[in-house]
Amino acid sequence: MTTRERAFDLQLPVQRHTLANGLRVVLSADHSAPIICVAVYYHVGMRLEPRGRTGFAHLFEHLMFQGSESMAKMEIAALVQANGGNLNGSTRYDYTNYFEAMPAHTLDLALWMEADRMRGPVITQAELDNQRDVVKNEIRVNVLNRPYGSFPWIDMQAAAFTNWHNSHNGYGDMADLDAASLEDVQSFFNSYYSPANAVLVVVGDVQEAQAMELIRRYFEEIPAAPRPAPAAIDEPRQEEERRVSHLDALANKPALAISYHVPERGSREYYALGLLDQVLLQGDDSLLYQEIVSRRGYAGGIDGGINFLGHMHNGQTPLLWTAELIHDRDVTTDQILEAIDAVIERVRTEPLSQAVLDRALVKARASLYETINDQYYPGFGRADLLASFELFEDDAAQVNTIEQRFAAVTPDLMMETAREYLRTSNRTVLVVEPGVAE
Amino acid sequence: MTTHPRPVLGPPPTATILPRNQQRLANGMRATFVQAGAVPMASVRLVLRTGSADVPKGQAWLDRFVHDYLREGTEARDASAFADALAGFGGRLTVDADEHTTVLRTEVLAERAPEAIALLAEVARTPRFPESEAERLLNDLRRGLDLALAQPQYVTFAAFRAAVYGDHPYGRVIPEASAFDTFNAAMARAFWESQVGAQRALLLVGGLFDEDATVAAWRAAFENWTPGPAASTNRPTPAAARSLHLVDRPGAEQSTVYVGRSVPDPTHPDYVALEVTNSLLGGSFHSRITMNIREAKGYTYSPHAIVSNRPGDAYWVEIADVTTAVTGPAIGEVFAETERLRSEAPDAEELIGIQNYASGNFVLRQATPGGILDHLEFLDLHGLDERYSASYVERVRAVTPDEVQRIAQQYLGTDGMTIAIAGDRSVIDAQLEAYGPPSA
Repeated sequence: MTTRERAFDLQLPVQRHTLANGLRVVLSADHSAPIICVAVYYHVGMRLEPRGRTGFAHLFEHLMFQGSESMAKMEIAALVQANGGNLNGSTRYDYTNYFEAMPAHTLDLALWMEADRMRGPVITQAELDNQRDVVKNEIRVNVLNRPYGSFPWIDMQAAAFTNWHNSHNGYGDMADLDAASLEDVQSFFNSYYSPANAVLVVVGDVQEAQAMELIRRYFEEIPAAPRPAPAAIDEPRQEEERRVSHLDALANKPALAISYHVPERGSREYYALGLLDQVLLQGDDSLLYQEIVSRRGYAGGIDGGINFLGHMHNGQTPLLWTAELIHDRDVTTDQILEAIDAVIERVRTEPLSQAVLDRALVKARASLYETINDQYYPGFGRADLLASFELFEDDAAQVNTIEQRFAAVTPDLMMETAREYLRTSNRTVLVVEPGVAE
Repeated sequence: MTTHPRPVLGPPPTATILPRNQQRLANGMRATFVQAGAVPMASVRLVLRTGSADVPKGQAWLDRFVHDYLREGTEARDASAFADALAGFGGRLTVDADEHTTVLRTEVLAERAPEAIALLAEVARTPRFPESEAERLLNDLRRGLDLALAQPQYVTFAAFRAAVYGDHPYGRVIPEASAFDTFNAAMARAFWESQVGAQRALLLVGGLFDEDATVAAWRAAFENWTPGPAASTNRPTPAAARSLHLVDRPGAEQSTVYVGRSVPDPTHPDYVALEVTNSLLGGSFHSRITMNIREAKGYTYSPHAIVSNRPGDAYWVEIADVTTAVTGPAIGEVFAETERLRSEAPDAEELIGIQNYASGNFVLRQATPGGILDHLEFLDLHGLDERYSASYVERVRAVTPDEVQRIAQQYLGTDGMTIAIAGDRSVIDAQLEAYGPPSA
């Protein structure tokens, strides 16, 4: 085999099934290593948690490790470990996922475990109280006791979005966490954790027919329940720039973030913006790095992208494209904005060269492949892409069209997309004022 | 409704070690190529045996300054042209470094692996070090130091290191900002040139790539490199007595805690058993310390224990950010779990679970190019070879309950542990009286 002859397009094998209770199943065999990744995605995240219960979707995620019909508190973690694997879960805007990467011979057990907890958490008040404390400590370590802890991911959501589903703090207010009860747990489970509201993904060293037999055995008898209504997450078109400033008592340097609302997921413009992100912000060759870091020395780096909690392929719009940096006090926000605006204005008014577009395509492809190569939970990167396309575009196999969607973008489309979406009036500026004296 | 009984699994298969194509040039440079993964990417790492321990006293972070400078282009192309070239292959230059290792790393589309190797060779062999960028990079360094000092995890790490290693380079984490004023392009170049050469270099490539073309590119890029210096050694004498070190952060919501002590290094016959012991005690999600201070007590979110290693040196440490009000009790539980393991061997079932965890995770690490290259770096750093990989699972499975107790007794006595904490001293000092007076 010579790699030079291989087609560029990566085609992942995708098998899709729907069980009688509505559970969607996606299989993708990969025999390159004797491992599997089993992932269950529930189509509920921070956007759907009840008002007065901010942080509840995330707290609920923690409770899914605290016991179910056949497993005691943390027994699922014990079982995964004692069979050689690693597990985790995460709460995002529109989904909550639970996954384990394990040696391949454990498929039967991994499916049994996930089926057991799909029937619901079986927990006590003590376990709820314990995980409430753990979650509060998670918020302390990641936000309250950390300089720039809410920058920009929590503060920008609040500033840039007008719809509560999108703008509220998904980590939760401490008072809301305190108010969460066992009744809330049952009610949230009943509303959102039905098989019809979930996607099960199995990737790795599996035989599809055998895997389906096990999946039917463990999951098909879980009672059906209606799929809940989706959240009303629409955002109005932004017509005026917003500027917000926060004092961060732990920060010793000012910081700046700018966010723009992005086009609808799946649209031609969305992929054009994905390539604009590559051109403007990703890597040392990007235009903003060159201008802000290399030429002007305003910062040691400039970071960002689409989707604070992931990337462009695993989030549902409305999302933001953000650029962020921490800078010295002797440079003003306006100086930096002026420099950024000059760069952005260029892509809004002049078509990019084919060479720059080609490089953006290569970077986007490499970034996608790197996602699939996830080192810490092998197989999870692939599972995450498949689940996201199944949840958001109703077809996991669409993952195999990503490269052609990027390839269809023209320099003109990029300029049009920049003109509409990278307008100043579609932007929110977030400033962090340092609370620590220099 | 009844659920299905828990399935009983067959025995785990033996770990698959993918073939390693190991090569050596006449000038002493080595390379290892591994075909792995499922996507047409190649991970390329140029591992150079130089790091912060090679920096002269009083010049801490000179290595970081040099690493930033390496991004400023090569003799053949300036920074922008270099970044464009590597980005055109799907890659970007990352410089990872620790006490003894500097890794120039990139991930590129597989068919570009040979060209990416040539670019990394340019960085290592002919870096540009343009004087025009020195002042900007020094500003980045100063800003980076200020930002680091605001992070409780960083200052606690530094306090722990200073306590364990004293004036050895491993203990000198925080630089003197005033020393930055003496750094310049000539100094960066002189340091780099004194440090690198073929004898100190190892190329690692993992992924799905054209092996013949990639090996040929490596030879062409490096075979006329001068051998350069042999790798340096400078073994520390770590602290062995209990001490307490506090960094005051008035009003802090949490205390950032490091508790640990020196242990045997990876070449020691006890090391694998020590790793198993660590996984059981604090190194895994279902470990005793995590089940105690997180799952029973709710003191913390992300406690974890690690064995941190350097050639001929290692320490065990439990790291946790705990609620301020329970700082003393959290350390008490860490010590209690450690002493319990020292006084009582674990039961066989608990140990088998941990052994399966350790061996299964070895299988997972061998499943991706990144995991494989990490393992190869580890072997090289400690002078180990493929026999270590081949026998690892077997050695994990050979550990007995008595051995775990013996390891804990011999190496994890809490009376020899160093405690470093960044937290609100007005609240925590009183909680810590049992652990001795704080060192100045």
